[in-house]
Amino acid sequence: MTSLHNPLPPVPHVAGRILDAQLHLMDRQVLDHDGVPVTTVDDLEVSGPALDVEIPPGTEPPVITALLTGSVLGTRIFGGRPPSSRLVRIPWTDVAEVGVVVRLGVSGEPLDASWVERWVRDKIIARIPGGRHDPR
Amino acid sequence: MWGPNEGSLVKRLLGVALGVLTAIGGFVDIGDLVTNAVVGSRFGLSLVWVVAIGVLGIILFANMSGRVAAVSGRATFEVIRERLGPRAGLANLSASFLINLMTVTAEIGGIALSLQLASSVYYLLWIPVAALAVWLVIWRVRFSIMENVTGLLGLTLIIFAVALFLLKPDWGSLAGQLTPAVPQQETVWTYSYYAIALFGAAMTPYEVFFFSSGAVEEGWTAKDLGQSRINVLVGFPLGGLLSVSIAACAAVVLLPAGISVTSLSQVVLPVAEGAGKLGLAFVLVGMAAATFGAALETTLSSGYTLAQFFGWSWGKFRRPAEAARFHLSMIVCLLVGIAVLATGVDPVLVTEYSVVFSAIALPLTYLPILIVANDPQYMREHVNGSAVNVLGMVYLVIILLASIAAIPLMIATGAGS
Repeated sequence: MTSLHNPLPPVPHVAGRILDAQLHLMDRQVLDHDGVPVTTVDDLEVSGPALDVEIPPGTEPPVITALLTGSVLGTRIFGGRPPSSRLVRIPWTDVAEVGVVVRLGVSGEPLDASWVERWVRDKIIARIPGGRHDPR
Repeated sequence: MWGPNEGSLVKRLLGVALGVLTAIGGFVDIGDLVTNAVVGSRFGLSLVWVVAIGVLGIILFANMSGRVAAVSGRATFEVIRERLGPRAGLANLSASFLINLMTVTAEIGGIALSLQLASSVYYLLWIPVAALAVWLVIWRVRFSIMENVTGLLGLTLIIFAVALFLLKPDWGSLAGQLTPAVPQQETVWTYSYYAIALFGAAMTPYEVFFFSSGAVEEGWTAKDLGQSRINVLVGFPLGGLLSVSIAACAAVVLLPAGISVTSLSQVVLPVAEGAGKLGLAFVLVGMAAATFGAALETTLSSGYTLAQFFGWSWGKFRRPAEAARFHLSMIVCLLVGIAVLATGVDPVLVTEYSVVFSAIALPLTYLPILIVANDPQYMREHVNGSAVNVLGMVYLVIILLASIAAIPLMIATGAGS
């Protein structure tokens, strides 16, 4: 990809920590702002130029726009690619901290990523006697 | 390991309940109760060395998984998914989950069989009762109470060790059996098959899933590393001791009499002979408690592995409604177990075939634990020492060899028959 006529610009100096998406983001546990597990990072959505298009020099580097979950896990394991409309996104702006886990700055409750959990809770588990009993 | 003001003696004793309960599920669940007696009645004590190797291995890796959980707050299956990625992670999840499901099924059957021995009521009638009781404990009872009660009651199995003394065996000849040697009437293949079965039972993956998740349930932090160490150092050797006692009792009573063990009633025979009616009462309580504890451990492990792979909310410390998919998956597992048992399948046979899946699950479980236990992002200054790493690598090689040999040996020996 790098040619003599159009070398890539040198890596800009970054003030913060450098993350390897594969190593530090993918398949990490996502917790909400109360520490409640929401999902695992099943894939990442990255902005940027479309495939097979010549990238003009000076183009802004792509950035992560969202953490993905849902059916994208299936396609990551077995191959293929779900249509964009079927992706369950957690926007990157909701991410507060990246460490051993990815911490969100928002509550997990209203997120799209939590709908199955909500459905199972409201339709099944909460209806069984003692379902809302606090064990502590 | 214990600082000053660490609480009363009772608290200290109960502090090892997690390790004890974990070990009970690994060493004296229904499959192992029978396997140990089979081994004793066929091979005497010539396979005790395998139990010793297994105990050391599980101490090593359970302590690592407990340390990862205490320092980073991450339970083992989160670590497996994170290090192995989704494909190998799913392969491990499938194998581990099937082991869990088969063991849950077997343990519910095991509780029912123990109750049948105690009550003479046919075991199939006990199955719904047993499954409901397991579910109620998971649904309602606090984790610490659960582990304390089942851990302590399961310890009544120590009656096998007491019975061994009461049987007044010839200790010299018993000790003579300890050298690894294939008995005359057995082949080297059946010997190897049972060696791998015992090693696999000692290192069953659900032990580390349960132990590390239990550490999170109890809210362990880096301050509790001593606690974790005591848990594994007390729990697993105790499990190994119980396992060897059962084999030794069988070696003393059943081997000379030429009785081959096929059912649970033959397992308790030496205790009845050595310790009489009172011993029998103890052993019945112990078996019911141990199988109940193992049922809890494996049912919870099913929920833990699924929830941690997919990133769901989990844990008995939360309200069931706050960990809905976790609780639903365990309910489904118990229902599947009841359905399988309703076909009349022998619960003990079910666990024998889980060896096949252990071959896949064992290496894929212990490798990521070893990797993450060396990752300073997770472990800060608590990364593995070099001696632990060398031992860990040696054990990975043993695990790999056992995994490769397991399935061919199973086929060649017709599962040891």
